Amino acid sequence: MRALRMIKAELSTKAGRIFNAAAIVAVILPLVVRDQFFINAMMLVYMYSIIALAWNLMNGYTGLLSFGHAVFFGIGAYTLMLLLYRGVTPWIGMLLGGLLSAGFAFLLGVPFSRLRSHWFALGTLVLGEIFLIVFANWRAVGGALGLDQPRRLLLSPPSIYWLNYARPTPYYYLALGILGLELLLLYAILNSRPGYFFQAIREDEEAAMASGINVTLYKCISMAISGFFTGVAGGIYTVRFGYIDPYAVFSMMRISVYPVIAGLIGGVYSLIGPIIGSLIFVPTAEYLRAIVGGTLGSRFQGVHFASFGIVLLIISMRIPEGLMGWLEMRGLLKPLMSSGGGSDER
Amino acid sequence: MVDLWLLGQATTSGLLLGCIYAVVALGLSLIWGVMEIVNFAHGDFLMLSMYLSYFLFTYLGLDPLIGSILGFLMGLALGLIVEKGLIEKVLGSPPIVTILVTFSVLLIIRYGAMAAWGPGVKTLHPWYFMAILDLWGVRISMAYLIGALISLAATIALHIFLKKTYTGIALRATSQNRLAAELLGIDARKMYTLSFCIGVALVGLAGGVLSTFYYVIPEVGGRFCMLSFVIVVLGGFGSLLGTFLGGLIIGVAEEISAIFIPPVMKDVVAFIIFLLILMLKPSGLFGEVAR
Repeated sequence: MRALRMIKAELSTKAGRIFNAAAIVAVILPLVVRDQFFINAMMLVYMYSIIALAWNLMNGYTGLLSFGHAVFFGIGAYTLMLLLYRGVTPWIGMLLGGLLSAGFAFLLGVPFSRLRSHWFALGTLVLGEIFLIVFANWRAVGGALGLDQPRRLLLSPPSIYWLNYARPTPYYYLALGILGLELLLLYAILNSRPGYFFQAIREDEEAAMASGINVTLYKCISMAISGFFTGVAGGIYTVRFGYIDPYAVFSMMRISVYPVIAGLIGGVYSLIGPIIGSLIFVPTAEYLRAIVGGTLGSRFQGVHFASFGIVLLIISMRIPEGLMGWLEMRGLLKPLMSSGGGSDER
Repeated sequence: MVDLWLLGQATTSGLLLGCIYAVVALGLSLIWGVMEIVNFAHGDFLMLSMYLSYFLFTYLGLDPLIGSILGFLMGLALGLIVEKGLIEKVLGSPPIVTILVTFSVLLIIRYGAMAAWGPGVKTLHPWYFMAILDLWGVRISMAYLIGALISLAATIALHIFLKKTYTGIALRATSQNRLAAELLGIDARKMYTLSFCIGVALVGLAGGVLSTFYYVIPEVGGRFCMLSFVIVVLGGFGSLLGTFLGGLIIGVAEEISAIFIPPVMKDVVAFIIFLLILMLKPSGLFGEVAR
C-alpha cells in the first residue's frame, strides 16, 4: 500500500516524531488528568477537529469555503437520535448518520457546484438558516424543543453497546479514535488521484476542466467525504450530550463557525493545521464561556460571538496562511504532510 | 378552499414586499457587479439601520420614514468606513480572504448589536402600522404601500443615476471591464468605494422602511441576507433589472406559499426556487453565468 508506506516515511521525520509523541500524550491524558471539565473540553477539541478537518478538505483542498457545516453535523446528530428511538445501537446510528450526511452533501454538490467562491460560501450560509427553520418547525423530530435520548438509555447501566456513560472519558476516546481514522483516511485520499484532482480544482477550475477532470463530480465527492465525517461528529455530540435541539446542532455560531476559525488559526493548506487550530481555539472559547459566561448573562453571548468575529478578522487580514503556513514560510517547519504543499500559491 | 380574492390579496402584498426586498438585493447585486465581492454583512447593515430607526422613533419620536433617510446616510458612512478601512486592504487577495473579511464584519455587527441592545424583540408602531387601505376590495397595508413606494423611488433614482450621470456611467463601465475603464481614466478604486457605499446605503434605506412593520432583533439580518442571495441568483448575478424582477417574484412566491403552508416555512419555498434555478438555468433570468 503506497499510502501506508508514505505515512511510515512521514512519521520517521522530525515532525513525525513530534506527531507520534502528541498522539501518545493524547492517549494517556485521561489516565493522568482527573479534571472532568478538562477531559470534556479535550473531547470537544477532538470533535471540532473532526469537523475542522472535514471542512478543510473542502476549503483548503478543493477551494469550497463553507459556512454551513452545521447542516451536515445536524443531519448526523438527528439521524443517530432518531435511530436510538428505534432501538439501533449508536455505533450503527453514527455510521448511518455519516452516510446520510454524505449522501445529502453529494446531492447538494450538484446545484452548488454551479456557484463560485463567494456565492458558494453565501449559499452554504443560507442553507444553514434554511435547515434551522425546517427543523425548528418540524414536529415529528421534536420541533424547536428538540429530542431527549430515550428514557431507557438513562435508566440502563452504562455499556459500550449503548454508549450511555455519564463521565466524559469514553467519549474522549471515541472522538480521538474517529479523529485518528479520519486523519489516516484523508491522508490516503489526498495522496491519491482524487486528492490531486481536488487541489487542481482549487487552483484553477477551468484548467482542471480542460485537463479532463470532471469538476462537478469531484466537488461532489469532496463534499460527500466532508459531509460524512461532519455527520459522524454530529453523532458523537448526540451520544455525549444525550439531548439535541435545532438551535444547538444547526447553530451557525456553535458549529459552522468553529471549523472556520480553527482552520484559519492552524492553517488551511495543511492536514494537521485545523487540529492545531482547534487545540488553540476550542479550549479558549470553552473556558471563556465557563468562566465569564455566568457573570454577564444573555448579553455575554453577543460579546463572545462578536469576539469570534474580531479574531477571524485579524487572522484573515494579517495571517491568512495560518500558524502552520506562517511557520513554514519562515522555514521553521518542513511541510508536515507533503500533500499540503502549495501554501504560497493562490 | 383558496379563492381568487385571497390569491389577489397575497399577490398584492407580495408585490409590495417584493419592491422592498428588491432594494435590499440591489445593494448586494451592485457591489458584486462592480467589485466582485459579496458583502456577507449586507443583512446586518440592514439590522443596524432598523435599530437606528427604532431608537429615533422611541426616544425622539421621529417617524421611521425620516429614520430611513438617516439610515441611508448612515449606510453611506458605514460603507465608507468598512470599504476604506478593511476591504480596500485585501482587494488583491484570494477570494477566501475577502469572503472572510466581510463575514467577520457580519459577526462583529450582529453580535455586537446583541451585546449592546440585548437579544430581545423590539417593535415600533407609527400611525400607519395598522392602517389599511381598501382598493376595490383588495386591502393593502399602509406600511407596505409606503415602503414599496419609497423602494420604487430609490430604484428609479438608482436607475437614473446609473444611466444618466457621468459617475453612474463610469460605475457601469468599471463593472463591465475594469481594465478598459481604467484606460479611459476612470479611477476604479473610487468606483469600488462608491459602489460599496451606495450598496450599503440602499440597505440602510430599506432598513428604515422595514422597521415600520417588521420586528427588530440582532439576528434579523440573516433572513434578509438569505432573501437577497436568492433574489440575486434568481435575477442573474450583477443584473440590476433581473435583481428587481427577482425581488418581485420572490415576494409574490413567498406570500402565495404562505397561504398553503405554515408562514414560517415560506423562506424554504424561496430556497427551493433558488435550487431549481441553479439546476435548470444557472445564469438566472437576466444574467451571465455565475462566476
